[in-house]
Amino acid sequence: MDFAQTWLPFLYLYGVGGIAFVLGMILILRTKALRVSFDRHKKWVFVLLYGFIFYAGIHAFFIYLAIGSQ
Amino acid sequence: MDIAVGTSLDRIVIFAYFALVMGFGAYFGKYSKNTTDYFFGGRRFAWWLITISIVATGVGSHSFVKYSTKAYQYGLSSTMTYMNDWFFIPLFMFGWLPIIYYTKVRSIPEYFERRFNRTARYLATMMTLLYMIGYVAIQFLTLATALYRIYNIPLMLTVILIAIATTIYMHFGGQTSVIFTDLFQGFILIFAGLLLFFLGIQYLGDHTALSGLKAFWMNLSPEEKLPLAHFNHPPDFNFVGIFWQDGVAGSVGFLFLNQGLIMRFMAAKSVNEGRKAAAFNVLLVLPISAIVVSNAGWIGRAIFNAVPGALPEGLAANDVFVAVTNIVSSPGVFGFIIAALCAALMSTADTLVNASSAIIVNDIYRPLAKKVKTEKQQLEFARWTSVAVKVIAVTLVPFFNSFDSIYEAHGWFHSTFTPPLVVGVFLGIFWKRFTTPAVIATFLGGAFLMILGQFYPELVSPFSHGIELRPGRGYSYIGALYNIVVCASVGVIVSLFTKPEPNQKLSGLTIFDVNKLKAIFKGSPVNEEKGEDLCVNWVLDNTEMDVIRFSRKNMALMKANPGDLVYIQDSRWWLGGLKSAHSIFGEPHDEDGIAYINPTHLDHGQFVKGLALKAEKEM
Repeated sequence: MDFAQTWLPFLYLYGVGGIAFVLGMILILRTKALRVSFDRHKKWVFVLLYGFIFYAGIHAFFIYLAIGSQ
Repeated sequence: MDIAVGTSLDRIVIFAYFALVMGFGAYFGKYSKNTTDYFFGGRRFAWWLITISIVATGVGSHSFVKYSTKAYQYGLSSTMTYMNDWFFIPLFMFGWLPIIYYTKVRSIPEYFERRFNRTARYLATMMTLLYMIGYVAIQFLTLATALYRIYNIPLMLTVILIAIATTIYMHFGGQTSVIFTDLFQGFILIFAGLLLFFLGIQYLGDHTALSGLKAFWMNLSPEEKLPLAHFNHPPDFNFVGIFWQDGVAGSVGFLFLNQGLIMRFMAAKSVNEGRKAAAFNVLLVLPISAIVVSNAGWIGRAIFNAVPGALPEGLAANDVFVAVTNIVSSPGVFGFIIAALCAALMSTADTLVNASSAIIVNDIYRPLAKKVKTEKQQLEFARWTSVAVKVIAVTLVPFFNSFDSIYEAHGWFHSTFTPPLVVGVFLGIFWKRFTTPAVIATFLGGAFLMILGQFYPELVSPFSHGIELRPGRGYSYIGALYNIVVCASVGVIVSLFTKPEPNQKLSGLTIFDVNKLKAIFKGSPVNEEKGEDLCVNWVLDNTEMDVIRFSRKNMALMKANPGDLVYIQDSRWWLGGLKSAHSIFGEPHDEDGIAYINPTHLDHGQFVKGLALKAEKEM
């Protein structure tokens, strides 16, 4: 399996998708739509970051398993 | 290939399922008192109820067949489209959701009128309706294709029978029926999909020397174990094309433009409950749904590799769902799994029909009606509109049946109607400078350039990322990138050459005002002090004022003042807010533990005499 089959899609997904995610986070923080000073909002910052890492982790894990099973 | 058509027991199971859902849905008709209840369920439901009903909406009858096909051909990468939705979640949760909830827009086209003008609204109405009614027709066709082989009833008659079955419960119950039947059907869908996976694993264990799960894993090739497809190959299933079509256009379209989904979130009791529903859905339920809709294909591939001859020679990938279900399940169970396919259709179709009906009432009937209609007349019109939507969808079925495959029809719809709306709504929310002439140009000019791209694929080539061009068929997925770029370019260029909208007109309609929306919604300063939720007994007060009166002490515990917003619900949590009402805190009294409600609250909440209510201050 070559790079275009394994890590390139992963890097593209979390690179381009990551830019959209980070810009979205910056926008909601700068417009105060998400206020870290509110207790109720603090946990959402954690949830949003966790979601990104969760999906990246699952995808990386399965790519690693697939490469290992060759 | 001729594959299983089921036994008498299977037919009884499927018939019983239809009857059960119709009765269940019709029961909830009593909770629809006006068009707000009918379309939005009265803004009262708990996050978990919204979450499960979203699953049933998102998983259409075509999903099982479509994803099983890709899973059989390409393995675990069939899950890509279910696991690429997180990138736009921050903007949805903290941008779009509070805007639609607090500004009380009743439809996506209505947002276009408030943000731009009436012409933009009508263009958006037309595009959205075409998209949704066509989608309903595709759902009818998918299920009818499976059922008519089981019952031996002609295809079009099967389509009509399915349309009648879904009409019966929707006609009376509206959004509340949709939510509760979708809750039930969501569970059925997930259970049936996981049951099929379990039976498949068991089958592999019984027919190989390995344990079931190990046999499954070992009989997939390394390529089939990859969670993402090859970057740009083959043309009909590659990562980069699907990323732009589904991960970007599809995700934004689903989160920001799907009227059915938006109405589901507007049925939540608060914005925070809507956020919980969205997070839980994408983080937990979507990965499970990916397994539910794909596993028949994975199991089929493992069986094909491990047990030669078990699957029919020359099995078409499209038939793998039915073929695998037939092999691994027994009579009755086969019927149950096909009933889950029915659940997928009915739950997706009812949401789309209710959403289409909402758009017709809100965006065509109300603005054009010469006389002001009563709520009762509007509700009656809404009910008959949902019938009309189904009739139109049924008449469209032969058109979609003329496509080479349902997926081609579905893909054509998705790529044709989504990008201009996606760009219009996205720039409208997140770019104040985006002007009214620009959104009209995006709809019309963007659509024109998209059509050009379909006729001249060389225009799409610069965006192709190395994907091979199929002669006569063009680029299938990466065309979405071209469509988004041309629509956005038209929008940006026209905006820069036209006069910006005054800030006053945009108030509350862009992300830049989200922090002011609560005050706009309430109509007075927001009380953010955190108080306790209380259990109280209710007493009927024959007043017409929309207030609920609590004792001084109770209001102090809730940190509430007269004029603040209050939500009361039946104290049984598992009702998920079905029996509930929103109101305003009235002047306090001195009887602790007692809440005075008026007849409208009682009628809306259907509270039970002698059962306590849970009260919470909203803001």
